[in-house]
Amino acid sequence: MTFYITTLLVYAAVDIIACIALNMQFGVSGLVNFGFILFQAAGAYTAAVLSLPPQSANGGFQQYVLGLQLPFPLPWIAGAIAGGVVAIPIGLVVLRKLRGDYQAIALLVISIIANIVITNARPFLNGAAGVSLVPPPLADQIGVEAVNTYEYQYFYVVISLLCVGLVLFAANRIANSPYGRSLRAMRENEVAAAALGKNLLAQKLTMFIVGGVMGGLSGAILVGFIGLWAPAGWLYPETIVLFAAIIVGGRGNNWGAILGAILVPVGFFEATRFLPNFGQPGLIPAFQWVAIGSLILGFLWFRPKGVFPERRRTFPNPSAG
Amino acid sequence: MSLYAAAFGFGLVSLAVIAVGAVGFTMQFGITNLINLAYGDIMITSAFAAYFLNHAGVSIWIALLVGAATGAIFSFLLNRFIYAPFQRKGTPLIGMVIVSLAIGIMTSNLLLAFVGSDNVSYHQNPGSTVHLAGIILTTEQLLLIGVAVVLMLAIHALLRYTRLGKAMRATAANATLARNCGIPTGRVIDAVWLITGALCGMAGTIAAMNSDSFAVANGSGFLITILAAAVLGGAGQPYGAMLGAVIIGELTELSAAVISPEYKAVVAFSVLVVVMVLRPQGLLAKFGAMAAAG
Amino acid sequence: MPADLGPLLTATDVHRHFEGMHAVDGVSIEVLPGRLTGLIGPNGAGKSTFLAVLAGTLPASEGSIVFDGEEISPLPAFRRARRGLVRTFQLPSEFAQLTVLENLLAAAPKNRGDSVVGALLGRRYWGADEDALVERARGLLGRFRMIEKENQYAGDLSGGQKRLVEIMRALMLEPRLLLLDEPMAGVHPSIVGEIASYLESLRDEGLTILMVEHQLAIVERLCDPVIVMAQGKVIGRGPLVELRRQREVVDAYLVG
Repeated sequence: MTFYITTLLVYAAVDIIACIALNMQFGVSGLVNFGFILFQAAGAYTAAVLSLPPQSANGGFQQYVLGLQLPFPLPWIAGAIAGGVVAIPIGLVVLRKLRGDYQAIALLVISIIANIVITNARPFLNGAAGVSLVPPPLADQIGVEAVNTYEYQYFYVVISLLCVGLVLFAANRIANSPYGRSLRAMRENEVAAAALGKNLLAQKLTMFIVGGVMGGLSGAILVGFIGLWAPAGWLYPETIVLFAAIIVGGRGNNWGAILGAILVPVGFFEATRFLPNFGQPGLIPAFQWVAIGSLILGFLWFRPKGVFPERRRTFPNPSAG
Repeated sequence: MSLYAAAFGFGLVSLAVIAVGAVGFTMQFGITNLINLAYGDIMITSAFAAYFLNHAGVSIWIALLVGAATGAIFSFLLNRFIYAPFQRKGTPLIGMVIVSLAIGIMTSNLLLAFVGSDNVSYHQNPGSTVHLAGIILTTEQLLLIGVAVVLMLAIHALLRYTRLGKAMRATAANATLARNCGIPTGRVIDAVWLITGALCGMAGTIAAMNSDSFAVANGSGFLITILAAAVLGGAGQPYGAMLGAVIIGELTELSAAVISPEYKAVVAFSVLVVVMVLRPQGLLAKFGAMAAAG
Repeated sequence: MPADLGPLLTATDVHRHFEGMHAVDGVSIEVLPGRLTGLIGPNGAGKSTFLAVLAGTLPASEGSIVFDGEEISPLPAFRRARRGLVRTFQLPSEFAQLTVLENLLAAAPKNRGDSVVGALLGRRYWGADEDALVERARGLLGRFRMIEKENQYAGDLSGGQKRLVEIMRALMLEPRLLLLDEPMAGVHPSIVGEIASYLESLRDEGLTILMVEHQLAIVERLCDPVIVMAQGKVIGRGPLVELRRQREVVDAYLVG
């Protein structure tokens, strides 16, 4: 039973970080990043190929680049950086000349292209099969049996939650600062923001990278836990789940992002796991998606601001005298 | 050399299929300002509607009409009950994109629940093969090209010569002004969704006819190819969509001959991204995805 | 007001074509410092487009724009704003989900917290800058009598109030030249006089303003000189009184 709880907590941590990242991009800055899952994937693949031994190991059944077998926490740090690095060329291409809805589509399409290319270019990241047998953090140091104990699970939960804390700290500092205000102004009316001296491209690119770093970290945490990562696991609807989480939880509000992460990817998908299997295989996932779609529509209609709307910011009155 | 001629021939069928879909999609955007990301899913749903009829013994050509009707009714109802109400509510453009994406995912998954994820194919008779200057096509493929040409001419005639077509163009240019001039824009928009929905359903069915087999998962591939053609030609421009279809259709088939068939989709998608970045307004557009100021 | 200071802004032969239309067709003007210059003309004359080109919201197709001795036509809008050339908009462009006070603070340029690194360093780093700006913003709110609205969402305000917020926002940037695009548009007639008084006092304090405006009564009260545009070109300039007598102007306008 405890394994279930610790697993749930790690998944929750991953989803919370991803939702906070997307909230920074979409909720606060107004960037509709329909390709977000690509950043999580970049972090996951990077952490994986840096933790894995060279590809000849394990009988050489996988083909992938690098394979440096680096110790924890280097793969996680690299995963976060990879998310940010991937954001740069994509951001430079997409954020400069396109209006909002075209940006969204271009980002969606780019994430799909990346998925197809990686699926077909086997030597790069082992194609459709993906990379597996990824050593969990500290596996080389403490041995294989130690990884399967409760203590290790608790350890994993703790380091995941530490990452959540770090990301939340950074996200709150950004959102509640004058910079956050400039981002929100850009979100509200970008032409007016530019007319008041805001460098829109710099702001968009920066938040693209910041969200990318956070997304990459979430991927590193996830791949360290489940040990494998394949293209089928990061198709474009995954991004939609995160958007649903933010719309439900509350756009622009980091606590809303956390609530949304708990309600939607964690709570919702976990809850439906307990339903008895009926109909053909694959029926339940199909209904899950229908429900996610209904959730999005329902909230956009009845409560577009989400459960926790963005807080009204007030300023303390100057003290008398 | 004959490899390229054959690829060129496949490109002709490809572009015919894409053109029908792209014109419908771009007209939806041009007249109602909606990027209907559920388009591909409606296409595949219509293809399956035709499939059930076809496997009940009906000729594929009749089933094709049913596919068109499915697309028309589905799209009309979708606008009536979802898109228009959200638009009236004042949902911003980006919200509408999310709405259409949600609808698309729900549609394809409902379809998945009903028909399963397996590949299926139509009972159809490809007819004899025709060889012409290195191009190798079956009679059925030639018929598909013919259907597409007829549809394109019909749309051209609609837009140019009929009152409805003129009303559509006026609504596309400026809906408020059109309404003030007495044009019943509500009814025009209903007609747009019926007609473009029919094109959507037809496109899905003929795309399925042109494949060895198809499944629910093909829907998103359809969407992006059509998006590529529509954006390339200029969003909202039907003639641009036709031009875009020609380019994308030939480009994907020729590149499949050169590189490898798996990358066909990548070529189409990359063209889309490149076009969006280099010339977002497309080849023919007057209005389009213009740069944000600042 | 020193009359021998050169113009603050000189536009020379500015064109703006778009899809075959010449919205601005060779316009050359000078804006003198410390004056409230009016820009009038019939609908479709290209006044708002010209203003947008000056501000950088739209790029000029041809021509030169020299602001305070510097050629600014290659600069994007945000760099012009940072140099003191600030515009407002005809349609309401408040930041709707930000409060009135936040709208003003968002405009302020010098805040150490206005960067990612600054934000991450926390309030200890940017708190002082922020407090100073809050004080300045409240000063403006007090002057424009909107202090009790400071915590209201700007999107919930009336048209006239939104217009005042936009003007205050522009003032937070300490502009050298303020470009106003029909400041009275969409404003309730009872507020128009109030806004006009504010503009008068700003002008008297030495702020240079170029204002596009339709209501000739306002133009008469506030503007000297006045430039008239029609069909993308300048067809007259000078005091309104003289312009009224010019044949071309009257013809273009058909207004008394």
